[in-house]
Amino acid sequence: MENTNVPAKSGVFSEISKRLQVNLQTYALVIALIVIWGLFFILTKGLYLSPQNFSNLFRQMTVTAVLSVGMVLVIVTGNIDLSVGRLAGFVSVVVAAFQANIWHELLPGQPLILTTGLSVIVGLLVGILYGVAQGYIIAYLRVTAFIVTLASMWILNGLILLITVGKTIPANQPIFSEIGQGYLPNVVGWLLAGLVVALLFFNMFSSRRRKVKYGFELPPFYLDLAKTIFFSLLVVGYVFYVNKYQGVQVPVLILAILAVTVSYISSNTRFGRYSYAIGGNREAARLSGINIKSNIFKIFILMGFLCGISGIMLASYVGYGTIAAGTSYELIAIAACILGGTSTLGGEGTIFGAMVGALILASLTNGLQLMNVAAASVYILTGLVLVVAVIGDVYLKMNR
Amino acid sequence: MSDDIILEFKNVTKKFPGITALNDVSFQIRRGEIHGICGENGAGKSTLMKILSGVYPWGTYEGQILYEGQELKLESSSIQQATEEGIAIVYQELTLVPSMTVGENIFLGREPVENGVINWDRLYAETGQLLEKYNLEVRPQETVKHLGVGKMQMTEIAKALSENAKVLILDEPTSALAEAEIEKLMGILRGLKEHGVTIIYISHRLNEFFQIADSITVLRDGKVITSQPTKNFNMESVVRNMVGREMTERFPKGNRNPGDVIFEVEDLHAVDPDDKNNEIIKGVTFNVRKGEIFGIAGLMGSGRTELVTTIFGEYGKITKGKIKLEGKEIIIPNSHEALLQGISLVPEDRKRYGLVLNQSILKNISLANLDRFASFFRIDGFKELKESIHFAQSLVIKAPNLEAPADSLSGGNQQKVVISKWLMSQPKVLIMDDPTRGIDVGTKYEIYKIMNDLAEKGIAIIMISSDLEEVLGMSDRIMVMHEDHSVGTFDTADATQEKIMALAAGVATT
Repeated sequence: MENTNVPAKSGVFSEISKRLQVNLQTYALVIALIVIWGLFFILTKGLYLSPQNFSNLFRQMTVTAVLSVGMVLVIVTGNIDLSVGRLAGFVSVVVAAFQANIWHELLPGQPLILTTGLSVIVGLLVGILYGVAQGYIIAYLRVTAFIVTLASMWILNGLILLITVGKTIPANQPIFSEIGQGYLPNVVGWLLAGLVVALLFFNMFSSRRRKVKYGFELPPFYLDLAKTIFFSLLVVGYVFYVNKYQGVQVPVLILAILAVTVSYISSNTRFGRYSYAIGGNREAARLSGINIKSNIFKIFILMGFLCGISGIMLASYVGYGTIAAGTSYELIAIAACILGGTSTLGGEGTIFGAMVGALILASLTNGLQLMNVAAASVYILTGLVLVVAVIGDVYLKMNR
Repeated sequence: MSDDIILEFKNVTKKFPGITALNDVSFQIRRGEIHGICGENGAGKSTLMKILSGVYPWGTYEGQILYEGQELKLESSSIQQATEEGIAIVYQELTLVPSMTVGENIFLGREPVENGVINWDRLYAETGQLLEKYNLEVRPQETVKHLGVGKMQMTEIAKALSENAKVLILDEPTSALAEAEIEKLMGILRGLKEHGVTIIYISHRLNEFFQIADSITVLRDGKVITSQPTKNFNMESVVRNMVGREMTERFPKGNRNPGDVIFEVEDLHAVDPDDKNNEIIKGVTFNVRKGEIFGIAGLMGSGRTELVTTIFGEYGKITKGKIKLEGKEIIIPNSHEALLQGISLVPEDRKRYGLVLNQSILKNISLANLDRFASFFRIDGFKELKESIHFAQSLVIKAPNLEAPADSLSGGNQQKVVISKWLMSQPKVLIMDDPTRGIDVGTKYEIYKIMNDLAEKGIAIIMISSDLEEVLGMSDRIMVMHEDHSVGTFDTADATQEKIMALAAGVATT
């Protein structure tokens, strides 16, 4: 009635609050990460944050973090995928088999760049096709994702055995190794950093332009500028530091591109927004004209695609395909999501959070190993950290 | 009735960051009376009840509550302690476990145990005695999910009473009930009163207070406006106290001018898609004109909701009959197609079907309309925000900003968010399933005005309502449903509550 207060200010208001509220949880996570780094820095007398270990730390998280990128969306829609570890493992042995034997027979004497490219395509296809099959059963035949993907673990176990026949297949060929082990030359790293900074600034200005176009009040320029500079410094600082070792790690670059792309998709496309709505309230989403089946189908195809990438990276990173490839990676991928604030009930979770979660897990493992802590203790400590983190999360939510 | 005070609030104040939910609240409740509490959403009723049940424990509010002459100090935030003290609450949302029996539900958490094993015979025997004592017509062994809403409510009441409650609090017990079931509930409450139970009765349906309450307390903006015996009030004075202004009419007079028929349903039959032998719609015929508000009345379970969700493409499988829009037959396989054709549905139960509660107002409003903001595959966030602001403003959604999550809003504002969402899709036909359920008088009035505005702009509105006065007050024509088929359509001028009830109950035919 007399109330007109609502949206008058909501342009600015929402922008600022969006920025500040991002997630209490995410801030808490970043702080936790810094504390962990600081602790290991002291305990290892600085070794932990040496350029070499810092570089390794990021490299170590990539294979499972790629799985987490997709897992966030799977969990957000209220599903789960237990097969990702073994699917990545299966892709890795298939790719290794092509690298080691099949191309020699099919395309003898072809340049390595061609066979490597074909290996990547094969790996992606295997992942996508498996995602299509699994997604179809879950979305259209309405079998619970938990059951389908649990069954997949066995099936994939069998397929891996079938291909490896219990043997280790080498995948350490030149060029192919670069995918998981390569580094960009320092100059390229700097060019890349320059490009990202330019993009950040471009994004800031174009967003301000569009706000003007739609008649929203602009947030103060210094606020936008400070934010852009902050992220630019992070990127530049990162490149500076890893360049002190061998340069920007190729797998980290791949992960970053995937995370940013899928994150963008999750918040700026219908597919992404529908996924959150389906997880938040399936009935409301259905009555809003959303095709739930097709959306969930797509989610699992995306997950399959990411398993493909993860598997290729895995083969290249370790340099061979084995029967154990990818075992229990699904647990690490899921843990990273949960640690990063993804709600197991669906509807909530960010890829950024999951990436921080993955980094925390990798930081712990790396630090403990660096201190020569026994494997048993590493497992126990990691488990405890996960539980404590979730308790902390529950506590934070209660006090909101 | 004696002047024996069982419960007294003395200067109770409860503050939340940025808002004072209760401000110096003082009033008394006498032993054995039925005490009605009313107020608009956000007036402080729920906060008051949460203090009484211990959700906000002693010490988190200022002032005193005297219970049986002693200060009530509930220290844990579980309702356990309140229950032990004899204060029982029946919540607005039912809290039963659907897959368990009535008896299991009533004794949930305090099953009679012998040597670590539940004594089922005793459990069901005691349930039976309890139900008999208070005249509740439910069978102890019945599974709750097979009960109607009315009987679920009875089970809920029995569950609350089984603790030897002295004070029973009912929070909007009738919002889900049809008229006949309300009558029954009233009877039960009178019976409880005879057994000496003091009842605190919260409702939005003011006429119920005059049927049943001995005293009425009116809250507004966290303050007690008045607390007096019912005989000192009439409907107008209660409304005046609630809203703080004269309400000359409950239903705004629109300037509706219905035009040509735009939407027709002819002899529609449909079956349950999971069970082809179960016919859920057994012949419904009606038409709606442009700019008309067309009411659908009928008891709970008469097939009203099934009818509209089937029309919307999301429930029954149509086996016979036609749906026509602007003279052309249309087939609607799913809600997406319905939206494309220009048919929108504001579903019943906004929390369950209307909103994604953890998401922002903005995302809720735009959810069904993202196609309009997406170019290629990217959503234009600013365009989305701009249009959403437009609807939030024109419907006067009261919220700090559009980023506030939907579950932080009051019921009335949540409903406005749902309506905004469906208006954004620019419907030709807007179906509203019980649009004002559980909403306070002031906001109801606003929603009626919105409906009038829309109809005046030429939108055809189909409104389902359980509230007969609302159907009569708002509709141009009224169709009555009984047992899954349409049994008659009236011009509102010819309709009376009695005529509609007779048809809806199946005791008369046109």
